[in-house]
Amino acid sequence: MKVTINKQNEKTLVVLDGRIDSTNADQFQQDIASLMEGEKPDIDIDCTNMTYTSSQGLRVFLLLQKSVMARDGKMVLRNMNPRVKEVFDITGFSNIITII
Amino acid sequence: MHCEMLLSEYHEKLPIYEKMKTVVLDLLRNCLDKNNILVSGLEARVKSEQSLIGKLELKGNKYHTLEDITDILGARIITYYSDEVDIISALAEKMFEIDWANSVDKRKMLEIDRFGYMSLHYICRIPETLYKDPELPQLNQMHFELQMRSTLQHVWANMYHYIGYKSDVEIPIEYQRNMSRLAGILELADEQFNRIRKDVNNYRRNVQSMVASGNFDEVPLNGDTFRSFLKLNPFRNLVDKIAAINQGEVYEDSLMPYYNVLLHMEMKTIGDIVRMINENKESAYQLALLQLAGTGLDIVAYSVALQNLCIVTILKKGYGEAGLMRLFDALYGENEYHKQRAKRIVEQAQKINLI
Repeated sequence: MKVTINKQNEKTLVVLDGRIDSTNADQFQQDIASLMEGEKPDIDIDCTNMTYTSSQGLRVFLLLQKSVMARDGKMVLRNMNPRVKEVFDITGFSNIITII
Repeated sequence: MHCEMLLSEYHEKLPIYEKMKTVVLDLLRNCLDKNNILVSGLEARVKSEQSLIGKLELKGNKYHTLEDITDILGARIITYYSDEVDIISALAEKMFEIDWANSVDKRKMLEIDRFGYMSLHYICRIPETLYKDPELPQLNQMHFELQMRSTLQHVWANMYHYIGYKSDVEIPIEYQRNMSRLAGILELADEQFNRIRKDVNNYRRNVQSMVASGNFDEVPLNGDTFRSFLKLNPFRNLVDKIAAINQGEVYEDSLMPYYNVLLHMEMKTIGDIVRMINENKESAYQLALLQLAGTGLDIVAYSVALQNLCIVTILKKGYGEAGLMRLFDALYGENEYHKQRAKRIVEQAQKINLI
């Protein structure tokens, strides 16, 4: 899993590439640690090249979402491929995280 | 000469008043938070030099020292409801030392047939037990004025001040009378707001007891009743069963986004939701089993139970893919992906003979 983070004015653009599973979820969490800081974050995550997420990945997204909400910010995941989107749908996570 | 002395004392004490302003605001804010009181305004200001000069020009002889002018620092709490003024004043009495001789309840100063300025003014000091700064002992000796009034009383007072302030001449008696009439109307409105709040609170209490009693068919579905119903954890058994498919855990998310969906599904009472659960929980579980078994996904949102119940209900009613798309659009906003998702769920439903 490759994570690219770019700050553009008030917005933080994140690009995810690859799969998130039990072998790299901890690393993924470390890679996005900087997103857990700062007030009123505005985070846009491009999932075009994210090929899969396991429940470990869902937990990291959940952690990030809770952190963003606690700081009065917003976060969206976009361009998710149908296979990954289905993981969010069948677990009910589409109700927790904004996916466009 | 006397006024110049008072002005000089004012400049000398200005930094203490500024510090006192911060302390008073913090103390009031903490007190309101601690007592869960929401107010429409909390503000404080130190009287400007210009304003003080104006006051001294009018009534300079009345004041011997700066301490005689009790509103150099003024704080104000504006409540939503007029009856909250008494609650706030009781809290202020506990917190501050009140100079009763100089405090006034303008609400009680008006004759029964007169309407006008309604506000409670306390002249206060900060006791050392509440706040103490060894470098600023004067902070506990100096007075400040605390005004407490409702939002509507505040509106009237502001407009009266603004109209009077802008005029070069005294307001003619007929216009004063109009202002008094408006004060009377706003006093009535304040009373009505108090009454409406009381009625709404009573309604909420009734709704909670109706939901708790289990007479669900008699409970209309609305935001309050749905919230009360959710406290009974009605989807717990189903979601625990779904989570157990992969020996997983449940993340407790909000089900309130489903309230509008249930209305669109023509649910009229809480009883309709209970029937949906009883009639469709097994199918909702079978759908989850088909989707989750073998995936290793060991975390689900609490809402997944209600999501699957809605999906099953829509399919059983024959609304098909279009109905599912409407459900997803209502929950998450329009998205081209919803068509694929609806199609896939219909295929899954056919596999488990749901339709």
